Amino acid sequence: MRALRRLAGAVPPSAPVALAIFLLFALVVPRFATAGNLENVLRIASILAIASCGQAIVLVLGGVEFSFGASAALSSVLAVSALPDVGPVGALAIGVATVAVIGTVNGWLVSRFDLPPFLVTLGALMIASGLAASLAGGLPIDAPPSAAFAWLARGRVAGIPVPIVAAVLVLFGTHVLLRHTRIGRIWCLVGANPVAARLSGLPTRSAVVAGYGTAGLLVGLAAAILTSRVASGQPGLAPNLAFETIAACAIGGIPLAGGQGRAANVLFGVAVIAMLNNAVVLLNLPVAYQQIAIAVVILAAVLLQRDGWPGGLWTRFGRKGARS
Amino acid sequence: MKRAYFDCRASWPSYARRDQATEPPLTRQSDPAGRGAQARPGVLVLDGIAKRYGTTVALRRVNLRLDAGRVHALLGENGAGKSTLVRIVVGAAAPDEGEMRLGGAALRLGSARDGIAAGIVPVYQHLSLFPHLTVRENLSAFAYGRTGPLALRPPLVAAETARRWLDAVGLDRDLATPVERLSVGERQLVEIARAIGQDCRVLLLDEPTAALSDRERDRLFLAVRRLCERGTAILFISHKLDEIDTVADDLTVLRDGESVIEGVGRETVGRADLVRAMLGTAVNTGAHALGTPGPLMLCARSLRVAPSDPPTNIAVRRGEVLGLAGLVGSGALRIAEALSGLRPVASGSVEIDGAALLPGDRRHAVRLGIGLIPADRSTDGLFAVRSASDNVSASALSLLSRAGLLRGRAERNMVAPWLQRLGLNPPEPERRAASFSGGNQQKLLVARNLLVPGLRALVALEPTRGVDIAARRLIHEALAEAASAGVAIVLASTDLDEVEALSHRILVVDAGRVVADLPRGAGHPALLAAMGGGGARAA
Ligand SMILES: Nc1ncnc2c1ncn2[C@@H]1O[C@H](COP(=O)(O)OP(=O)(O)OP(=O)(O)O)[C@@H](O)[C@H]1O
Ligand SMILES: [Mg+2]
Repeated sequence: MRALRRLAGAVPPSAPVALAIFLLFALVVPRFATAGNLENVLRIASILAIASCGQAIVLVLGGVEFSFGASAALSSVLAVSALPDVGPVGALAIGVATVAVIGTVNGWLVSRFDLPPFLVTLGALMIASGLAASLAGGLPIDAPPSAAFAWLARGRVAGIPVPIVAAVLVLFGTHVLLRHTRIGRIWCLVGANPVAARLSGLPTRSAVVAGYGTAGLLVGLAAAILTSRVASGQPGLAPNLAFETIAACAIGGIPLAGGQGRAANVLFGVAVIAMLNNAVVLLNLPVAYQQIAIAVVILAAVLLQRDGWPGGLWTRFGRKGARS
Repeated sequence: MKRAYFDCRASWPSYARRDQATEPPLTRQSDPAGRGAQARPGVLVLDGIAKRYGTTVALRRVNLRLDAGRVHALLGENGAGKSTLVRIVVGAAAPDEGEMRLGGAALRLGSARDGIAAGIVPVYQHLSLFPHLTVRENLSAFAYGRTGPLALRPPLVAAETARRWLDAVGLDRDLATPVERLSVGERQLVEIARAIGQDCRVLLLDEPTAALSDRERDRLFLAVRRLCERGTAILFISHKLDEIDTVADDLTVLRDGESVIEGVGRETVGRADLVRAMLGTAVNTGAHALGTPGPLMLCARSLRVAPSDPPTNIAVRRGEVLGLAGLVGSGALRIAEALSGLRPVASGSVEIDGAALLPGDRRHAVRLGIGLIPADRSTDGLFAVRSASDNVSASALSLLSRAGLLRGRAERNMVAPWLQRLGLNPPEPERRAASFSGGNQQKLLVARNLLVPGLRALVALEPTRGVDIAARRLIHEALAEAASAGVAIVLASTDLDEVEALSHRILVVDAGRVVADLPRGAGHPALLAAMGGGGARAA
């Protein structure tokens, strides 16, 4: 009984939403529910999922990260420029480290000087995209063909595409991090009430730096997979990445006010976005519809998951208002 | 300022002095229609109000009738549903069942704004003023609510009018003072003055005295009486029965969301019956046994918290409870906060068991085993969106984790006994803290700080703010037990009864200086005399 209740508490309200959308699309969208299409959806969703785990950590901390897209672009430009000199592994490591460093610096600025995350990460966005553009001279840098470099995006482990494996591992890792580790709990507490966290003797500053740094690490991984997929250093790699990750987290049910959030929220939020994007493509609708659809879904999801009307629907599931 | 302080006292003695006071009892003279109350319809009538939150029943069936010109006390243990009732009456929450009538007409409120427009004004325990705005701007706040969004000149109330409202509550402050410079008690008076300006018919006071000193409370009661004389119906919530005796005309008791005593005259119910109606049992009110203090544990050497303070030496021994008393602004709170490592100091040092504390570094202080129950629960203490259990274990995470992983079972085993012991209601550790009643939230903070690993000293600021008499007893017992186990406790509270009941000795602070060091049992008069003595600032 207790285990059942805990399971019910662990399933976010966005899960039935994702399931409903899946069933609906399977019925009405041609070719949606084919194995090939679903693998494709997962492959694309996996990159968003990895980056969204990073955003989730920052949101739990009560912050927000706008710089992901720009730092991913910078990371891709740096990685590809370094590729001839340091080889594929070194290049990818540089790519990952770039975003991790940017995240860490953001976290340090936020915690050390008590600056609004909004401004700090917006600044980082501008600096990183400026750097990426100037380093690349405005044009994509092509990577020399390398099987090892391409493996990250195109390889398979036990028949499963590498990005999907990576996403599963990252989601699981994020789940453990947020639910079962000390640092994850501290992130939650700092996000819930930073003053109370400090007065309780928690290392709030280092936790914030670690949180933004971890988020950077994850987005670095997402950027590396993307770079590997496009096989070039792109100053405009994923311009909307930050916003898509925020959207995924919001749809998944992570409140922007901080203090709460789980990997499961990310999972279902990303699933909803990926299915919507895919359906727009399959139905041959203009891409503009994609964005409009996502915007509508975000608002609907946030409304549905609020405690009052009409979200009482979900809270009445015997969950006793505990979404912790 | 000092003059005003004594004037106020003379005309409105504190309940604490009532037993020895020669003045006649202070109530009832302002009760023009009191005897006829039964026959009159009542200003606000609630009939069969019920409210559920998900699966929790907050209110089962409540009847309440407020009469013009009378103070109606609402009593009940923590979680009985008092604040929920206030939220419903003012329109901030909608009842699931039941009817409300205001002046005979059915009352339906969509929001707190509707409630205020109908003349029902709440004064919550957490204040609802705008701290950066001036007194006068705050007094005009309700008027802003009535203008269009593009009104060119916001309708600031005329200075004379604002003055008149402030006079009505007995607050002598410049209209241009920013509200953040006022004490908690003064801010409450501003809220009540604002209610007067609104021509309020019903004033709802939800634990207004929980954070007030005796003097501020007396001033508040005076304002309440004045408002009563103008015919306002007043609902007054408090856990302090002495206050109910002082100020209330009628009373209603809630128990588990039901009104078990409905609108009877205050003098018709004896105190023992009242307690039994609230809690279902009697509460032991005997004195606490305190152990004998051991060697020195926590000390301040030549401590100056603010640069203008004189250097102070304070020593707290192992197992000793040291009370800190002083009027608001006296510096008692400042000193207590410095002892807990919360506040940077101008000079001097704080040492625990010989180790110097890094001032202003709570992390270091906790590592040295110093707990802190903060005075302001919602801003400094509560993790509102986290579970009760997370709130309690926050101070002991290092103990509960191995290699960075939290041990879930160890956490449950550590937290559960404390929640049970302090009587958390409802007893659900996984519920989020925000959904607990105020008093139950306070229990979470107390438990958190008793759980600090290797606890050696505990600085408790207003540790029983907002808790009911049974929980107050439980918290006192827990503090006394911690002391017996060798913890040095610094207790700063505006509740002098609490300080006297628990402390081995009491330091009275005035203008940042310790002006008296009273032994246990010195008595209330000595304490009050010491506090009133050294030219206290009025704010
Ligand atoms: N938003 C909410 N969600 C779920 N339960 C709630 C919510 N608000 C209140 N409750 C529940 O309703 C009950 C009554 O709470 P309420 O705050 O009215 O108590 P109270 O009488 O004011 O107590 P206290 O003396 O501690 O302030 C409690 O059991 C509380 O847990
Ligand atoms: Mg309450």
